[in-house]
Amino acid sequence: MFDILEPLLFALFALGIIGAGVCVVVLRRITAQALLMALTFACMAGMFLLLGAETIALFQVLIYVGAITILILFGVMFTRQDDRGYGLFFQRQSPWAAALTLVIALPVAFLAFSFKDPSTPSPKGGDLTPLAGSLFTDYAFPFEIASVLLLAALVGAIVLVKRDEQ
Amino acid sequence: MTVPLGAFIAVSAVLFFLGAGGVLVRRNAVVILMCVELMLNASNLALVAFSRRAGQLGAGNPLDQRGSVFVVFVLVIAAAEVAVGLAIILAAYRNRPTVNVDELHEMKG
Amino acid sequence: MIHNVWLIPAFPLAAFLINALFGRRWLKRWTGPLASLSIAASALVAIGVFLEVRSGAERTIVPLYTFISVGAFHANVAALVDPLSSAMLLVVTVISFLIHVYAIGYMAHDHGFWRFFSWFPLFVFAMLILVLGDNYLVMFVGWEGVGLCSYLLIGFWFERPEPAGAAKKAFVMNRIGDWGFMIGMITTFLVFGSMNFVDVFERVAKDPPAQGVLSLICLAFFLGATGKSAQLPLYSWLPDAMEGPTPVSALIHAATMVTAGVYLVARSTPLFAAAGPVLAGVGGVGALTAIFAATIALVQVDIKRVMAYSTVSQLGYMFLALGAGAPIAAMFHLITHAFFKALLFLGSGSVIHGIGGVQDMRRMGGLRSKMPLTYWTMVIAGGALAALPPLAGFWSKDEILGSAFKNGYPILWVVGVFTGGLTAFYVTRAIWLTFHGQPRDRQLFEHAHESPRVMTWPLLALAVGSALVGFIGFPPDNGFLHSFLRPALEAGAAQQAIPPEASNWLEFLAFAAISTAVGVGGILLGLSMYSRGRPDPAAVSRAAGPYYDVLVNKYYVDEIYDRRFVGVAKAFAGAAWAFDIHIIDGLVNRLGWAIKLAGGGLRRAQTGIVGNYALSVVAGLLLIMVVYGGYATGWLRR
Repeated sequence: MFDILEPLLFALFALGIIGAGVCVVVLRRITAQALLMALTFACMAGMFLLLGAETIALFQVLIYVGAITILILFGVMFTRQDDRGYGLFFQRQSPWAAALTLVIALPVAFLAFSFKDPSTPSPKGGDLTPLAGSLFTDYAFPFEIASVLLLAALVGAIVLVKRDEQ
Repeated sequence: MTVPLGAFIAVSAVLFFLGAGGVLVRRNAVVILMCVELMLNASNLALVAFSRRAGQLGAGNPLDQRGSVFVVFVLVIAAAEVAVGLAIILAAYRNRPTVNVDELHEMKG
Repeated sequence: MIHNVWLIPAFPLAAFLINALFGRRWLKRWTGPLASLSIAASALVAIGVFLEVRSGAERTIVPLYTFISVGAFHANVAALVDPLSSAMLLVVTVISFLIHVYAIGYMAHDHGFWRFFSWFPLFVFAMLILVLGDNYLVMFVGWEGVGLCSYLLIGFWFERPEPAGAAKKAFVMNRIGDWGFMIGMITTFLVFGSMNFVDVFERVAKDPPAQGVLSLICLAFFLGATGKSAQLPLYSWLPDAMEGPTPVSALIHAATMVTAGVYLVARSTPLFAAAGPVLAGVGGVGALTAIFAATIALVQVDIKRVMAYSTVSQLGYMFLALGAGAPIAAMFHLITHAFFKALLFLGSGSVIHGIGGVQDMRRMGGLRSKMPLTYWTMVIAGGALAALPPLAGFWSKDEILGSAFKNGYPILWVVGVFTGGLTAFYVTRAIWLTFHGQPRDRQLFEHAHESPRVMTWPLLALAVGSALVGFIGFPPDNGFLHSFLRPALEAGAAQQAIPPEASNWLEFLAFAAISTAVGVGGILLGLSMYSRGRPDPAAVSRAAGPYYDVLVNKYYVDEIYDRRFVGVAKAFAGAAWAFDIHIIDGLVNRLGWAIKLAGGGLRRAQTGIVGNYALSVVAGLLLIMVVYGGYATGWLRR
């Protein structure tokens, strides 16, 4: 029974991701777009679990579904949308953009779909210890840099949004 | 039957190009930001998938974590980027009350 | 002392630097004495050098530093100390000193006093470099240097247009000569592989090149000498150079700079001697210039112009001597001329200074009673110029004429004698018009006064020189100067060691009698015409009619030059200007316009819309994918 579980879950999650993604791109109601984006993130976390990377899945839920979705919602709240309806529509360059994206996407998709690698990642987990080991020993320096980067982003965001003293 | 690696890559590719199309096509700056997040997620998926594959095939550590470490960093960057990006949108919105990227063309010429 | 010979130019250079840097604000009036003292120091060293050379020192080369040393070619900054250069050094330093002292008085009221005494010693420095150099290159440095200083000093009162124009004219004409010098210098290098005098003269003696080449070199150098020493056809700058202050005219345009050409040819005697007909050409040009200039001097009314043309004429005598194969006679005349011509100029300056700046002799007259010292020194100088025995000019001029005849150039002798008569006439006229007769301008006469002592003492010193310097060449052909200079100038004679001939007194007296008679005749004619009016000068000029006009207008040479040469140069300059404005500037402007156009077009890519920029990023991605895919699949070959 469990044999069919994995492909089934995969199909489910894939559908969720693609579907929600399409909606994010195409829909015109921004709140819906934001929440569907959250759905995409959640399904992505599921994908990670299927790949056996439970730590990453954890991070995905924490950061993406948690923090980033909230941030986007705040952004939606603070900016007034067009009165014609929620969300704004397409840019002036849309025809060109769509054409170009298709032109690039088709060969890549073709390549991706004809990927002939026999390996099959298993959902067997246990990646916390090796990940932590790698992160804090081999990649300790980039880790520290990343923390500095976060600090910089934090300060930058505050500075950008500060109002001038009256 | 387990899921082949190619499937994961295919999903990642589709999601990536969806996001790219969204960035180029949508007019609302916040929506564009959301599409950028989609693209980042797609690349995360690809990275983890390849990392796990390498772990299975590769010499040495059966659970090679380089891809996963990279993903951690991408997560960090994505978070920082959203924060700053929204700060910029808010600042621009204060200047001229629009989030329509077609109308934000002060840098013309 | 010979090894300290580089001190000689060092002192005036130091004076120039000090005066130029500190003269305006701090030294002011002290610049004059400082410059004069530096020249005095140089003179003392020069005397020391001269005494050492006289007591038998060999020809010495005193190097200063290595200038050019490439392969086998060496042209270093080194001094050649031999009889010729040590004699010249002495003349230059002593006369420069006297004129510096005089100038302290003459320029006393000028607000550019410090500037004058910066450039005056600089000139002396350049002249000394010219004299001292042991190769053509160093000599050329000095050559150019004196040209520059001449320009600076002629145009000293540059706020007025005439001096500025005269300075330019002098410099440009000199430049034409300099071109000749350069051709000569470069050809010398090409032919002999060296520019050092010693090397070149040795090679000419041992293995002379083809006469054509040698003639080219000598002609080129002579062209340079023509420019610097104001011979035909490059002479007309010298009369105009009288726009400069009188000390400048005395030092530069009588005693030193203009003699540089004579020095050059004298120094290059071995080259010229081997070049055959060119030497005769030199003599011809000299003689022609002498008589040409003398005729113009007959009718000039500006006292300094008379002296200027006289200088041109006397320089012609020196070249006549060189051309006739008598370089010692030429140097002798150079030395005596330095004394009496400087004195004539300084005396004229004293007159000009005494009557408040007037140079027109028609407004002078009877100044003898007001300026006795000036008068008597001028008389001595005038007598020397007219070659009256026993004054200096007599001995040197007579030697020139005698050598010309003896070496087989009777025509040159005739021209020389006749010009001597003209010389005597015009100098008598000048002195008479200035100092004798009734004062023609009462106002000027009332205020006329003798010059201060700082100006009259140099006059006295030069008068003594003009009277006595001739005796360095006594007895004729056999005097101190002859034995002193012979080893340097008559290259073969030193080796031959033939005892000098005893002077042939009969020969000498014959020549002396003829030339003195002509000279005295000239003086008497002058006195007769101007003191007694027989014949009346005005009547003579009327009778001469068109000839007189030609003379007064200096043979219209300036006008001819202006139309022919200056006009052509101006036309060419106009064409060049048009080319520059339309084609070169046009090219640059068109280029700018094209870039602006392109920029305007390319600017449209900056729409300011972020989406467009993102699109271009994606388009770039497409390009990269195509290229990468092409290489990977072998469709695009590397």
